[in-house]
Amino acid sequence: MGDGLRAAWAIAGKDLAIEWRTKTALVSSVAFAVLVLAVLYFARDPTAVGAVDVAPGALWVTFTFAAMIGLNRAFLLERENRALDGILLAPVSPRAVFFGKLAANLVFVGTVELVSLPLFVLFYDVPIVRGLPALLGVTAMATVAFVAVGTLLSSMVVRTRFAELMLPLLLLPFLVPPVVGAVQATARILAERPLSEVQGWLKLLAAFDIVFVTISTLLFEATLEE
Amino acid sequence: MPPAEPVLAAREVTRRFGHRRVLAGVSLELRPGDALLLVGPNGAGKTTLLRVLAGLLRAQGGRIERRGDVGMVSHSSMLYDALTARENLRFFARLHGGSSRQRVASLLEQMGLAGRADERVSTFSRGMTQRLAIARALLSDPEILLLDEPLTGLDDASSEQVLGVLGELRARGRALLIASHQLAELMGVVTAVGFLTQGELRAVEPIAGRDLGAITARYREVTGRG
Repeated sequence: MGDGLRAAWAIAGKDLAIEWRTKTALVSSVAFAVLVLAVLYFARDPTAVGAVDVAPGALWVTFTFAAMIGLNRAFLLERENRALDGILLAPVSPRAVFFGKLAANLVFVGTVELVSLPLFVLFYDVPIVRGLPALLGVTAMATVAFVAVGTLLSSMVVRTRFAELMLPLLLLPFLVPPVVGAVQATARILAERPLSEVQGWLKLLAAFDIVFVTISTLLFEATLEE
Repeated sequence: MPPAEPVLAAREVTRRFGHRRVLAGVSLELRPGDALLLVGPNGAGKTTLLRVLAGLLRAQGGRIERRGDVGMVSHSSMLYDALTARENLRFFARLHGGSSRQRVASLLEQMGLAGRADERVSTFSRGMTQRLAIARALLSDPEILLLDEPLTGLDDASSEQVLGVLGELRARGRALLIASHQLAELMGVVTAVGFLTQGELRAVEPIAGRDLGAITARYREVTGRG
């Protein structure tokens, strides 16, 4: 294993070990996801709007806002006791730090999504069995895009006084393109449309992944400087 | 025998925060076995100088040459409260390219923390946390050790232990740069004293043959403070 990969692995493992032990972000995110799904479900008039019409939006509102809680915590961990200085004193490239944090955030957000998905099916009673692989693919692709930018911005705002407030504000413009793509693709999957109708959105999500991960990787080092 | 090459050399290092000049052309050299005590009033630039020399802050002017690894102990512990002492050291050891259980165990032993190695750092006293922070800084057996107020918050026994470790490091040819107000306690460890005030290193003088009173009088003279 290369030095960079070993460092990224160690950072991701450390973040997940801390989260597993404290469960602060995980519990908050899952509770938030349940709350959003329930509120949106009960706010709907079932005689006027079909479940399948609101389900994609409800799913992605839940995923993105629940993820935000985890992303906010990603670098707060490093701010406590200035632990990030300890990492930067080691011969570790900023890129390895970014990929370690990104990997931990992806595991965290993926876990929240996996826990929320059965609840979503329970509330909205939408047919997902046939389209499950495609839905998981769309979820993974959209998640990579916004978590990459979220990781970059989380590092950028962590030294500001209102870090928790700043992250959603800054992330929002970057969140819209992949989430719009994800909502459109999810709507077609839940409506059991042919896969060919989803392919265009998948390509768009793949493009967002490449662009967002590349830009975030390149800019990350600048966020580490005081 | 010619003197050994410096392991750390700073030439005309400058740093500003906004319009405030914090370091104004600081130059110093550290050779193996040197232990320089940096004294100066609050706000003189001691912490900034240490952070710049460690590479945690970018110098805006001048040049810094380091030959070998740098370890640093700062006001903040750079440790994760949710991890145990052993987990913290193993994590940082991995970042330094090794995860030797023996090295971690021996540092815990050396710092008198072996009995509490598997307890979370959040349960540690200030003195124990400081000793663990020193153990973290020593993981890679660095040639250069930068210490910012290493004795703050330590009781007499812990101070003795830390002073013993610092003396041993110096005897082994490690270069130490210590920023501290605790001149009396550190007199037995350091080889020279540097007077920093208003971002300028006004003088660096050997400590041999001088007592605490003479150094204190010189401090007042150089910095203009009591």
